[in-house]
Amino acid sequence: MGIRRTMISIALALASASFAGMGARAEDVKLVLWSLDRDIQPAPNLIKEFNAQKNGIQIEYRQLQFDDVVSEAMRAFSTGKAPDIITIDNPNHAMFASRKAFLDLTDMIRQSKVIKPENYFPGPLKSVTWDEKYYGVPKATNTIALYYNKDLFKAAGLDPEKPPQTWTELVTTAKKLTNPSKNIYGLTFSAKANEEGTFQFLPWAQMGGATYKTINSEGAVKALTVWKQMLDEKLASPDTLTRSQWDATATFNAGNAAMAISGPWEIDRMLKDAKFQWGTALLPVPSEGAQRSSAMGDFNWAIFSSTKHPKEAFKALEFFASKDVTMYKDFGQLPARSDLPVPPTGNPQKDSALATFVEQLKYAQPRGPSPEWPKISKAIQDAIQAALTGQMEPKAALDQADAKIKSIGG
Amino acid sequence: MKRVFSSITDGRGFDLVLVGVPFTFLLALSGLPLLYNILMSFQEVDMFSLGSVIRPFVGFRNYLDLFTQPETVSILKNTIVFVVGSITGQFLVGFALALFFWINFPGASWLRGLFLVSWVMPGLVVGAIWNWILSGDFGVLNFLLQQTGLMSSNIFWRSDPNFSLWAVILANIWLGTSFNMILLATGLSAIPADLYEAAEMDGANAWQRFWTITLPMMRSTIGAIIALGLIFTLQQFDLFAAITDGGPNNSSNVAQYWAWDLSFRQYDFGKGATISVIMTVFVMFAATVYVRSTRHEVRG
Repeated sequence: MGIRRTMISIALALASASFAGMGARAEDVKLVLWSLDRDIQPAPNLIKEFNAQKNGIQIEYRQLQFDDVVSEAMRAFSTGKAPDIITIDNPNHAMFASRKAFLDLTDMIRQSKVIKPENYFPGPLKSVTWDEKYYGVPKATNTIALYYNKDLFKAAGLDPEKPPQTWTELVTTAKKLTNPSKNIYGLTFSAKANEEGTFQFLPWAQMGGATYKTINSEGAVKALTVWKQMLDEKLASPDTLTRSQWDATATFNAGNAAMAISGPWEIDRMLKDAKFQWGTALLPVPSEGAQRSSAMGDFNWAIFSSTKHPKEAFKALEFFASKDVTMYKDFGQLPARSDLPVPPTGNPQKDSALATFVEQLKYAQPRGPSPEWPKISKAIQDAIQAALTGQMEPKAALDQADAKIKSIGG
Repeated sequence: MKRVFSSITDGRGFDLVLVGVPFTFLLALSGLPLLYNILMSFQEVDMFSLGSVIRPFVGFRNYLDLFTQPETVSILKNTIVFVVGSITGQFLVGFALALFFWINFPGASWLRGLFLVSWVMPGLVVGAIWNWILSGDFGVLNFLLQQTGLMSSNIFWRSDPNFSLWAVILANIWLGTSFNMILLATGLSAIPADLYEAAEMDGANAWQRFWTITLPMMRSTIGAIIALGLIFTLQQFDLFAAITDGGPNNSSNVAQYWAWDLSFRQYDFGKGATISVIMTVFVMFAATVYVRSTRHEVRG
C-alpha cells in the first residue's frame, strides 16, 4: 500500500513536472536570426549552445548568401517580416541604423554586465555607432597588413627581419624583389572594381590624412600615385585591377609575388600552400612616424527595431559576446575585443602573424559610417580604376570622386 | 446560358479561351513585372520603399541623371560592341561548323552533339574557366600565343582596358556558338536536296549554290537566330561577373551588368530599373525581327 502510494505520487509528480515542462516550452520566446555563417562558423553553433540552455528563449536560424544579406534584409524589413537578429557587413550597418531599422541598444548596453563598449576596438565600435548611439554589437573583425616572403628577401640581398616601413621603402623594396625573368612581382594586392578595391585603398588614403569626405586631399592623391607607380613600373601585376584579394594572395603563396597585402583569413591557406618562410608587418606608412591606419572588415550583430522581444534578443547578443573568448580557437575569427588576448595556437609563425594583425586592428577604421556607403565606395573604385589604367591623372580622378561623394551627400 | 456554354465548347468563346489563357499567363508573369519596372524607373526607390508601390514620383530625373553621368555613353557603346561582336562571332563560327557537319562524314552527328556541352555549362563555370585562360601572367591563351611566336609579351586580357571587353566577347562567342550551330544545322537539313541536284545539273558551282539556294532558304532561320542571339547576349551576365566585374574603369561594363550593379550593389533601384527600360526597347526591336522572320516559316 505504502509502495503503491509512493509510486502514484511519483507518477503524479513526474506527470506534473513534464506538464510544467511542456507548458514552459509552449511559452518559450521564439527569436529568428539571419546570418551568412555556415555550419563551421559562429552563428549556427552559438545558437545551438544558446538553445541548449533552455532558458525560455529559442532561436531559429536561417542562413543567407553573401550577396543576399542586404537585399533580403531590406525586403523583409519593408514588408514587416524582418527577423529579430541579423548579422550585417559593417559598411552596411549605417544604412539600416540611420533609418532606425535597427534597434537603439545604447541603454541596454549601459546596463549590461557582458557588453561593455570600452572592451571593443575603436574601429568596429564606430561601425555600429550612428548619431552617437549604438545600433549593434561588433561580431568579429579583421584587417589588412603586409605579408612578405623571407626567402625572396634573402635572395635579393635584403634583411628578412626588416620589412619596409614606409611607402618609399615599400616601392624600393618591391623594385629589388621584382624579377620578370622568374615571373616574380614585388607586391600583390587588389584594386578590383568592387568593395575589395575600396577596402584596400581607403587605409592608404587615411594614412595620408584623408577620409572618404576629403578623398581628393594631398595624402590620398599621393597614395594613389604610389599605387599607380606600382602598376606602371610593373612592380605589381596588371591583373591587380581585376583580381580579388584571395586570388592575388594565391600568387604570393605560389612564389610569384614577394609581398602581399591581405588579411588574417589568408593565414591557414598560407601555412599549407606557401613553401617558404614568410613574415608579416604593419602596413607601411607615408613617412616615418606618420599616423597608422588600416581597413576593417567583418560583420556586426544587430537587432531589428521591429522585434517584439528586444530584451530577449539582447540577452542572446550578450550570450554571443560572452563566447568571444573562444572565438579564434573555435572558429578562426578574431573577436573585435581589445580586452581579450588571442590565445597562442602553438604554431610560432601563425602566432606572430596574429600578433601583427591584433596590433594592426588598433588602427583599423570602418568604411563610413554612412548610409550612402555603397555609392561612396563606387565613386572611390571608379577613381582608383581610372587612375591605374592611365585614363585619368590620380588628382583628377580623385577630384571627380570627391565631387560625386559630395553630390551623394556623404 | 446554353448558348454561352456551347460558344465555349465550340465557337467564339472557345477562341477567346484559347487566347485568354496564354494572355493571362503572359500578363501575370511578364506584363506586370514589365509595367512595374517602367513605373519604378519614374520613382525614387531605395531599400526601405522597396515593399510599397506608392513612392516619390520623380518624372524623368532618373533618365536625366543617367545620361549626365560620364560613364553612360561608353557603357552603352560597350553594350553595342558586345552585342554585335558576340552575335557576329557566334553566327559565323556556328554557321561554319554547321556547314562542316552538313558534309555528314562518319561520326558527324555525334561530334555535333558533343558541341552542345558548352551550351549546357552554367555561365559562372564557363566564366571561371575563361578567367584562368585569359589571366595575364599565367593564362593559357598568353602561353599559346607566346609559344607559337605570335606575340612576345603578355597581354593582360582582363585588365587592359583595350582588351577587357573583347575578352568577355571571346568567352561569349565560345559559349553561344554551339547553340547557333544546332539551329543552323536544323535549318540546313530542312532544305530539300532536289534543289541542289537541279542546280548542279544546270552547272552551278558550290559557291553559287550557297549564295542562291542555301542562304535564301535559310533566311527565316538566320533571322530567328540573330534575334535570339540579341536576346541571349543582352541577358549575358555571368561572364562579366566572373571575368572582369565590368572593369577596369568600366571598360568592359555593359548595360545589363550596370543595371545589376546599380540595383543590387548601390541599392539605387530606380536607376537600375531605368536601364532595364532602355534595354527593353532594344529587346522589343529584336522581338519584332524574330516574329517577322518566323512568320515566313508558316508560308514556306
